[in-house]
Amino acid sequence: MDDAIKIRILQGDPVIHDVKNVQLPSRYRGLPKIADKKCPDKCTKCIDVCPTNAIRLNPLSIDLGLCIFCPLCEEYCPEKIIHFTQDYRLVVDKKEKLLVTKDTKFISPDIASEKIRKYFGKSLKLRQISAGGCNGCELELNALSNVNFDMGRYGIEFVASPRHADGIVITGPITQNMAKATEICYEAVPNPKIIILFGACAISGGVFKSSEAIQRKFLEENKIDLYIPGCPPHPLTFINGLLDWLDKK
Amino acid sequence: MKSLEVQNNQLFDKNSIPYLNKNEFRNSVLDLLAKGCRMISLTPVDKKEPQKIIAVLADSSSSTIHIIGGDFNGVNLEFESWANEFPQTNYFECELSENYGYFPLNHPWLRPVRKQNIILGNQPYHFFKLEGEEVHEVAVGPIHAGIIEPGHFRFQCHGEVVYNLEINLGYQHRGVENLFLQSNSDKRIILAESIAGDTTIGHAFAHCNAIESLYNTKLSLRAEIVRTIAAEIERIAMHLSGLGGISNDIGFALPASAYGRLRTLAINSLAAICGSRFGRGLFVYGGVRYDFNEEIINAVKNNLSIVQNDVSQITDYLFSSVGTLSRFEETGTVKKELAKDIGLVGLAARSSGLEEDARIQFPYSAYRYNPISMITLSTGDVFARARLRALEIEESLRFIFDQIENLPQGEIKSEINTLKTNAGVISIVEGWRGEIVHIAFTDEKGNLSNYKIKDPSFNNWYGLSLALRETGISDFPLCNKSFDLSYAGHDL
Repeated sequence: MDDAIKIRILQGDPVIHDVKNVQLPSRYRGLPKIADKKCPDKCTKCIDVCPTNAIRLNPLSIDLGLCIFCPLCEEYCPEKIIHFTQDYRLVVDKKEKLLVTKDTKFISPDIASEKIRKYFGKSLKLRQISAGGCNGCELELNALSNVNFDMGRYGIEFVASPRHADGIVITGPITQNMAKATEICYEAVPNPKIIILFGACAISGGVFKSSEAIQRKFLEENKIDLYIPGCPPHPLTFINGLLDWLDKK
Repeated sequence: MKSLEVQNNQLFDKNSIPYLNKNEFRNSVLDLLAKGCRMISLTPVDKKEPQKIIAVLADSSSSTIHIIGGDFNGVNLEFESWANEFPQTNYFECELSENYGYFPLNHPWLRPVRKQNIILGNQPYHFFKLEGEEVHEVAVGPIHAGIIEPGHFRFQCHGEVVYNLEINLGYQHRGVENLFLQSNSDKRIILAESIAGDTTIGHAFAHCNAIESLYNTKLSLRAEIVRTIAAEIERIAMHLSGLGGISNDIGFALPASAYGRLRTLAINSLAAICGSRFGRGLFVYGGVRYDFNEEIINAVKNNLSIVQNDVSQITDYLFSSVGTLSRFEETGTVKKELAKDIGLVGLAARSSGLEEDARIQFPYSAYRYNPISMITLSTGDVFARARLRALEIEESLRFIFDQIENLPQGEIKSEINTLKTNAGVISIVEGWRGEIVHIAFTDEKGNLSNYKIKDPSFNNWYGLSLALRETGISDFPLCNKSFDLSYAGHDL
């Protein structure tokens, strides 16, 4: 018993109390900022190096659904126009809002409909489906329940059965071999239900987009409620996205 | 016996591989297996020419890798299986058969590796089935109860006791090996980082070692040490995660949550080094992208000092509990002989008393100058696999503190030029789970002609199957977590 108390004292107070204002390490790559500067003539360096074709020119934009937050475009840009900030609030509710341009200062989801907030505002149970996720996203989702992030305090939790869930969180590009299981799992969730896409692979296929082994029909046929960009997204990105969306303080 | 002998990461000429006819090929491989070599790959050198294959065998005692070619041109793709004498080859044969249409004759158990609903030897595949009174079958997955990757498990039980567990994978297959051939150099590293997200550094390490050999690039000692420090932090983080998971699976909440807190410190150290909690973006061809400065060194040291101080107390607390020991000891046992026969690698092999650690037997990068100790335990049960994690955390911490205090000066990135043509390389790295193998070949234009990856999970899933024999089915989650294998790494 004494030992248990010793271990408990060692734990201290590890909880991140203010999840909205955390200073992440200086090398962390969050929301990219595009400076209001003109690109050099005919320069396509950022486009050439981007491993997921997330960048478009005229005007210069980055699609956060494709972006895997590698530092290549920032590294290759001769004018330092693209710069990754430490802003970890990246969640949006509509695909169009994933596009970052020079006018983007910050991004956030619209507040969910009154019905969603009424049903899920105080308690949201989610079933996670790994459909080709490499275990990076899965580990970050698991980390949400640890003593540091402790997402349960906001009434948001992961459950074992889709029957107990209010929605699904998909990780991975959805492989052919998981396409059917993903569908069955979603069908097993009672209405009303939501779909959250966690990570670049789930949102766009990410680095696996061109692979023949993936099958993304499910995503075309169903309405997506939240997009969580990242590779993998930081746990704080997920928490803040849900708190903003459900309009919780 | 003809074979090409190379060292880990040694560049060799593709044309120096001796190609033997079917029978000689079989016998030469058999000879090496009989001498105690372990198969690490069975694959064509060129995807466009699947009739010519190589068997790659590692001899841990002499740090040598043997490559034997088999030429099946003009003959049918059937060959006599080695698996009846050497069970370790059976899964490699299944993989070769599934990918390239080879057929191992008299194979003890030809089964699908990654494909679903396949036809093997003119018959659809059926799961192994136990019949008799009071036997029953339990099917689990692909989607499991927690936030974990998908896979399907079939238990054949009599009462509570498992007689056979068949593990059916492939749900995670993303076609990674093919993507390697289609991708440019920047994207290849990112792909390597995404093979198994929990082994980002392990796979990036193996990939960069392989490609740098093909570039014929030498790294600065500083870059190599930064890499090995990152690799050991990954090992610490995942071992902490494993110990937390194992504690959780026996319902012991306090150590589970305490290990979880320490894991955050370990992965936040990686975030301090390169911005990603999993080490993404750290590796570039020729070295590392981010250097250590005083601020980073202090951040890493502060975090890991807390881990060092707390982990021993938490581990003592966990392992001094009678409840823990009664669940851990003699649960999910894989004995040494069995482990050797089926070719277990890494953590699982060392827990069963096998000396298998690529950092020591096939030393690479900074491990060539700064050795790490081989730690083995003998019981091969959940206890050994959990305890070994705790011991390896201590050793990795010692290694990191040694290295980080004495970082040599130097550039962190060397220049690279072009890939050697018609060349090949075998790269072995000890990830936190065990031996990672990346094999790369180039064609006459210097493009990759084949890229073959073996995650340690490929060897070890069968170990989990056998660990479950005559074990209560309720111990499955605990046994599973004690192996903690990768689905994505197996399915690629």
